[in-house]
Amino acid sequence: MKMIRLGAALVMAVLLSACASGPKLAEMKSAIPTLKASEGRVYFYRSSSMFGAAIQPSILLNGQKVGDSIPGGFFFVDMAPGSKEVSTETEVEKKLTFTLDAGQTRFVKTTIGMGFAVGRVYPELVDNATGEKELEETSYIGKPLTK
Amino acid sequence: MKMIGVILMALSVVVAGCASEVKRQSSNIVLHETTPGKRLVLEQPVMFTLDSGYQRTIKPGTEFVEIGSIQQGRVLKPLNTILTVEGAHMHEAYAVVDNDILTGFYLPVEIAFSPLSQTVVINLKEK
Repeated sequence: MKMIRLGAALVMAVLLSACASGPKLAEMKSAIPTLKASEGRVYFYRSSSMFGAAIQPSILLNGQKVGDSIPGGFFFVDMAPGSKEVSTETEVEKKLTFTLDAGQTRFVKTTIGMGFAVGRVYPELVDNATGEKELEETSYIGKPLTK
Repeated sequence: MKMIGVILMALSVVVAGCASEVKRQSSNIVLHETTPGKRLVLEQPVMFTLDSGYQRTIKPGTEFVEIGSIQQGRVLKPLNTILTVEGAHMHEAYAVVDNDILTGFYLPVEIAFSPLSQTVVINLKEK
């Protein structure tokens, strides 16, 4: 019995430590810089869920690592407009392609799914209304912001 | 021997479960560069299944702007939502409409047309 309790506590500790722990969007919104007119912004986020929480792959944007997919976490990247390709480093690669215009903000959600042997994380483009709403529930995990 | 059969069956199920790549053909878009394109609003919901098996719904009230045309129809970019086609990968897409029929999708990154086999009627009203 003692072993079961200890095991359960250990599993809970691992799962909890696997979730994002930064400030919520509402707490740090004022620190987010205004988007430059010549650039576009992409928010990356993952909803908080215990399912597959330990799977936290890197997120690649046009082949460059921009961050990690962490449950309950978000970050953003400002960049020049143009064609974008997002992928994650998991068992099966599922890419997302979209365009980004100057002054435009887009939302990319990473979601856990079941692969052949293990879970996999794939990116999907969501509309701004959904992205803005779901972002409220997540915590900032990007680079420190100064304003 | 029986075991091999079971493994082969399991493998075939797994392989069949893998989505195929979205069908597409290269396409040259003629853009409306000089005048702003027509704005259109969807009146009725449109539901369809992509050739890859994924389902999509476009809600009533979705606004589009006509940005140009390709051989398969007028290219309509959604304004207040996003549209994607999905197979092995996911791609942002614009609707391609010809005589009130959704003929397929224009993929702006791939600069390609992805056809829709199903006949889908789409009722749009000019705004």
